[in-house]
Amino acid sequence: MAINKHHAIDPDKCTACTICITACPVTAATRKFRGPKMTGPALTRLRKLVSDDDPMLDYCSNCKTCDLVCPSGVPISTLNMLAKNEYYKTHPRKSPADDMLAHSEKMGKLITSIPLASTFANLGMTIGKSVGMLGAMGISSNAKMPSYASESFISKFKKIKQTSYQRKVVFFSGCFINYNQPEVGVDMVKVYQKNKIEVAIDENFVCCGSPMVAGGYIDDARVNAAKNAKLLKAWVDKGYDIITACTSCGLMLKQEYQELFDFEGMSEYAEHMYDSVEYLAKLHDEGEFNTEFANDSTEYIYHAPCHLKVQAIGRPSMELLPLVPGIKIQEADAGCCGISGSYGFKADKNPIAMKVGAKLFGKIKDSHAELGVCECGTCRLQMENGSGVPAIHPLTVLRKAYGL
Amino acid sequence: MKKSDILIIGNGISGLFAACVAADKGKKVQILSYGAGTLTIGGGIIDVLGYTDEGTPVADPMQAIAAMDAKHPYAKVGADTAKKALDTFLKITEEEGFPYIGSANENIWLPTAIGNFKPSCLVPRTMNGKALIAAKNILVIGFDTMKDFYADMATKNIAKRLPDKNVEQLIVELKFEYERDLRDISAMDVARWLETEAGYRSFVDQVKSHVKPDTAIVLPPVLGLDPNYKILDTLEKELDCALVEVSSLPPAVTGTRLTKMMTAYAKKRGVQIIEKARVVGSEIIDGKCQAVITEGFDRQRKFYADQFILATGGVYGGGLVAKIGAMTEPVFNIDIDVPKVQTEWSHKDLFGDKKQIFAQFGVNVNSELTPLAADGKEVASNVKVVGRSLAGYDFCVEKSGNGVALITAYKAAAAFCGEA
Ligand SMILES: Cc1cc2nc3c(=O)[nH]c(=O)nc-3n(C[C@H](O)[C@H](O)[C@H](O)COP(=O)(O)OP(=O)(O)OC[C@H]3O[C@@H](n4cnc5c(N)ncnc54)[C@H](O)[C@@H]3O)c2cc1C
Repeated sequence: MAINKHHAIDPDKCTACTICITACPVTAATRKFRGPKMTGPALTRLRKLVSDDDPMLDYCSNCKTCDLVCPSGVPISTLNMLAKNEYYKTHPRKSPADDMLAHSEKMGKLITSIPLASTFANLGMTIGKSVGMLGAMGISSNAKMPSYASESFISKFKKIKQTSYQRKVVFFSGCFINYNQPEVGVDMVKVYQKNKIEVAIDENFVCCGSPMVAGGYIDDARVNAAKNAKLLKAWVDKGYDIITACTSCGLMLKQEYQELFDFEGMSEYAEHMYDSVEYLAKLHDEGEFNTEFANDSTEYIYHAPCHLKVQAIGRPSMELLPLVPGIKIQEADAGCCGISGSYGFKADKNPIAMKVGAKLFGKIKDSHAELGVCECGTCRLQMENGSGVPAIHPLTVLRKAYGL
Repeated sequence: MKKSDILIIGNGISGLFAACVAADKGKKVQILSYGAGTLTIGGGIIDVLGYTDEGTPVADPMQAIAAMDAKHPYAKVGADTAKKALDTFLKITEEEGFPYIGSANENIWLPTAIGNFKPSCLVPRTMNGKALIAAKNILVIGFDTMKDFYADMATKNIAKRLPDKNVEQLIVELKFEYERDLRDISAMDVARWLETEAGYRSFVDQVKSHVKPDTAIVLPPVLGLDPNYKILDTLEKELDCALVEVSSLPPAVTGTRLTKMMTAYAKKRGVQIIEKARVVGSEIIDGKCQAVITEGFDRQRKFYADQFILATGGVYGGGLVAKIGAMTEPVFNIDIDVPKVQTEWSHKDLFGDKKQIFAQFGVNVNSELTPLAADGKEVASNVKVVGRSLAGYDFCVEKSGNGVALITAYKAAAAFCGEA
């Protein structure tokens, strides 16, 4: 049984204790943001009476640190997102980048469907950056934009020959893995096969909608949620567990759908949802995790994404990766990286994102680690951009340790 | 889920301290917590016992504890263990490079935000109230656009309470941008400003000429966001005087520092903290707790351990759930003995200096801190209850909040590690 979703959108559970203000990374970085308590629960009550005219809303990055520290279970960040979406119904958007960043799947599809398009797109990004075109679009020239892969994960997946096992999962790869870093998805399949798990995918899955909600396009997210929820429920009915390797997709599908929408089957399939490393940690608890690792003497620093922290699953990567012989890994424990999905790519938000991430960047640099490790794709970009140290998915560390 | 030796429910000061103590004694400890603790909105100072039941100030908290009413949590711990607990806390602050001052046998009087004085026991060096009493001149510093601290009120009240001192005030200009699109300025914002080179210089430049020989400065809690004394030390050197932060209102800079310090210490000793994990129930077989159960948006999970410490706090935060004429502790489903008639929950004079009836509601425990059900039987022999969840005290009136939390947490953790 899972939480009763009807508890979800109740601003009156807020006792105005201010804990969220002490923890909010955006509040710490800029006075342009009023802070989670005011923008979320306090003004939501007011919005029930008068229409909203608070541009400060736009500054919430939906990192969910407020939800993490709230002792009363107020979904502060989701209240902010709902208000933001209401606001943009009657107010112009700040920049043309909003649309593009919210609909990353559209871009990905377009680029990976045309031969050589990724080369030109990536080149285009570079040129666009140098001639200031991205700036004109409202995208920060300071951010490291994700580059596009020449072949999507789905296309790569079809070429993988798997051994069939009784334990079966369906993998919701999400846009970032599918279009930008398909090798992470391939690593997932390899690592799962090593653990006697058969992986399925579903070509009908669409973008989880997380960037749409954060960008103020909740109506588009609702359409996607309806599609995904139906498909996910059907997989669970067939006896499959659902795996995500992007923590924002995972959070959206299992939690935010329930907070924001009302489709059948959501709480039923959520019972069978796992983060990709959490699932392996569960196998480990049951004594079924394959630990035939080769030595790895690399020094790593691990950053826990905000959207993993709020899933109440602890730090599964910090349980499993230390099992690799010779490995040196420490947790950065330096708070939010600042990027928050698409937030830090926007020109007006990038300086805030870099300020938020400064502590993490410093920690990474001071650690002298060779590689960063993180489950979230855009966090990894931000870690690289801020510290100069490349970052990989924990599944990639495991794949290497298996000698694959 | 993997099994731990000791599982702690709650991430407030009592849960964190119990975790530190048990981990130091070699136990494998896990904390489950839904939300941060009260400490992050509270003062970050350790009140142990400020006033007796009659309202007279306590000079030596340990002596007063030894003579406590049997219902009070302190009576179940005793002065010897209480002292050990506070000494252990002092040792931890020392090791973390954020040493607290004070002793278990003495209270320190601290200035409040409005210039009154309150007793506390262990405090960070940024709140050394004794420096005020020792100085000849007191300079109260406010910041022009910061809310929640009124320097003129504090100045007037301090002058009234310490008539032999020369009390003056100074308003430091922040020169922050101020317009409709920018939010109000809190103590946290000023603390961030002081951490910048420009902010620090501006502060020193504005203050330096106003500091006479033998001065102590009183100011809101703005001396750094992290648990260290870098800003305090450099300022005291550069201005050649003591600086004393007032005990403050939320959002609390001082409480946040202590939370960071305790969390860092616990993590370094291998304590695993699972955030956002709401515990909704427990599995008790033959009088022993086997596991507690968490619930989220996905599913329920069981967490097994040999021993359990309940540190979920009071009504704020959900450690106790109040309904009309009833109160329960939801994890072990313990009925709290409260009057059925709601009007009997409180005295008429809500803000008087008498202990409030409702403030003393909580879980009844025996002398081992094992929870007792309404019929007086043990709920589970391997469970102990600590901190604000306990019945029998009103921290607000007697000034004992973080003291009860630390002292009961120490007793529970030490007992689970085989120490009486
Ligand atoms: C505004 C304010 C100022 C104060 N100032 C001072 C002061 O200056 N000095 C002083 O000594 N005392 C002060 N106090 C009192 C003191 O803060 C508290 O008595 C003390 O912090 C209690 O600590 P605790 O660990 O017992 O509980 P809490 O700090 O309340 O911690 C309980 C934790 O358990 C979590 N939790 C609750 N239910 C569940 C569940 N079902 N599952 C998982 N987790 C759960 C909560 O979210 C929370 O993190 C103040 C209190 C307040 C409110």
